[in-house]
Amino acid sequence: MKKLKISDVIFRIFAWFWAIVTLYPLLVTVLCSFKDNNGIYGNMFAFPEKWEFANYKDALLSANMLRAIGNSLLLAISTTLLVVIVGMLASYIFARMKYKFLTPCFMLFMLGVMIPIHTTVIPISRIAANLGGYDKYWMLVLVYTTFQLPQAIFLMTGYIRGISRELDEAAVIDGCSMTQILFKIILPISKPIIATVSIISFVYAYSELIFSVILLSTPDKYPVSRSLMYFKGDFSVRMGPIFASIVLAVLPLTIIYLMFHEKVQAGMLSGSVKG
Amino acid sequence: MVKKRKNLVWSIAFILPALSLLFVFLLYPVFEAVKLSFYKWTGIASAKPIFIGLENYKAVFQSPNFWLSMRNALFFMIGGFLILMPLAFLLAKIITSSIRGVKFFKVSYYLPVMLPVTAVGLIWVYMLQPDWGLVNSLLEKVGLSEWAMNWLGTPTLNVVSVVLVNEWIFAGFNMLIFAAGLVSIPQDVYESAKIDGASKFKTLIYITLPLMKESFKVFSVLCICGCLKTFDLMFAMTGGGPNHTSEVPATLLYTEAFSSKNFGRGNAIGVVILVLGMVLSIGLNKAMKSED
Repeated sequence: MKKLKISDVIFRIFAWFWAIVTLYPLLVTVLCSFKDNNGIYGNMFAFPEKWEFANYKDALLSANMLRAIGNSLLLAISTTLLVVIVGMLASYIFARMKYKFLTPCFMLFMLGVMIPIHTTVIPISRIAANLGGYDKYWMLVLVYTTFQLPQAIFLMTGYIRGISRELDEAAVIDGCSMTQILFKIILPISKPIIATVSIISFVYAYSELIFSVILLSTPDKYPVSRSLMYFKGDFSVRMGPIFASIVLAVLPLTIIYLMFHEKVQAGMLSGSVKG
Repeated sequence: MVKKRKNLVWSIAFILPALSLLFVFLLYPVFEAVKLSFYKWTGIASAKPIFIGLENYKAVFQSPNFWLSMRNALFFMIGGFLILMPLAFLLAKIITSSIRGVKFFKVSYYLPVMLPVTAVGLIWVYMLQPDWGLVNSLLEKVGLSEWAMNWLGTPTLNVVSVVLVNEWIFAGFNMLIFAAGLVSIPQDVYESAKIDGASKFKTLIYITLPLMKESFKVFSVLCICGCLKTFDLMFAMTGGGPNHTSEVPATLLYTEAFSSKNFGRGNAIGVVILVLGMVLSIGLNKAMKSED
């Protein structure tokens, strides 16, 4: 038996301590989602005396969370698809072609990485009004896509540059055109980076807040982040359904995370660590 | 020749969608923000913006709320270096160690990063609720009821509370940055240190930390640039209130523009965020590169 040192014990205790600090508030939220107000106000961390499953029915239907989650998923999927398609097309050109005008274009995207989105909030609300994009999903999807593009192009271009050019050259000899090379050779090899970009875009668009606050006005169109901030009428005082709504809102991303946690962690890390 | 021309056409066609999005929704809005920051505009489509020169900037720089929001952003930065950095480093040590349950720890620590910030913010609003919230109830249970406070309703304390929640969320994320640095240190360096009789503490100070310079750089850049961009968490937890005490630059921009209908002034704040953000990220990158 190896002797345990004090520092090792403290290390282990801290490991558990932080796990509890992280998970406990989430667990309490789940418990509260099954209680009525008395149960929550009386003793927040006790197990529910009576399990109020109706909270979930109220959250899904009356508080409109089912719709909000659907909206968020729709926004997230459309954004992800658009980022991958538009980003991949551009990245392929940036990585493989040698025209002079490409360098300044690429620099513009890298400049885009640095621009804080909040600076653009007011002008974008104005643009939306001018384009007739106010309260429309396509406007949100285009805005989300744009904010994800610089980073996606940075990641994808870097990845494609790492793919051996010999593959391209062999394909050219076989008579492949430029577009065929992209779809038959580059695209299949780029699956890992496409997964990374998809994860980052999906998580961003699912949770996005400020543009949905500014650009949407019909409550039926609210995605989860905005819905969570505006409980109306009866639901602003009944805590059970509010907690149930929170649980439902975080459920899709939690499931995706638990299924692919390695990939998700690696992907989101590479998204932040830019040159 | 024909093929070359065809390739050029395809190339332009392929970058055009990305480029037009970039221009319409990112570069043009920045240009507009700068331009409109010199105008007075109430946001009503029919009302023409009126040129007023530097008046918006003057108003912003003379407003106590703006300086308060800058102070609060500074709180995020201080919290980042004082709490988040050591915490994330310790968590990185844990998930790269060989203690039992490492996988469970790694998955748990990162979980809050995945959740929508508004949802997490809302959870903590209820946990910090003064009358029945988890934190105050726990304090009462362990006999520290005089520590129970109105966390989000007391000026300054509310910012500190939100900063702490921010560290709670992002500890798991920054843990990965440090973990990447830790794993990249070759194992034999430690072994030779052990042979030389270096204590654990000495190994940490003289070997681990210097070899992880890169991770600390990445953390610093993200932390300093990130604190200017905080919005969601503050918006969800306090909305900048009570009475503007917890305003950060981005929430102040929102309040000025969309609540007070002072779009020119909002844009001036936006330009300040932009300039500070650019200067900081370019400056930091330069400073860190020249150090090598």
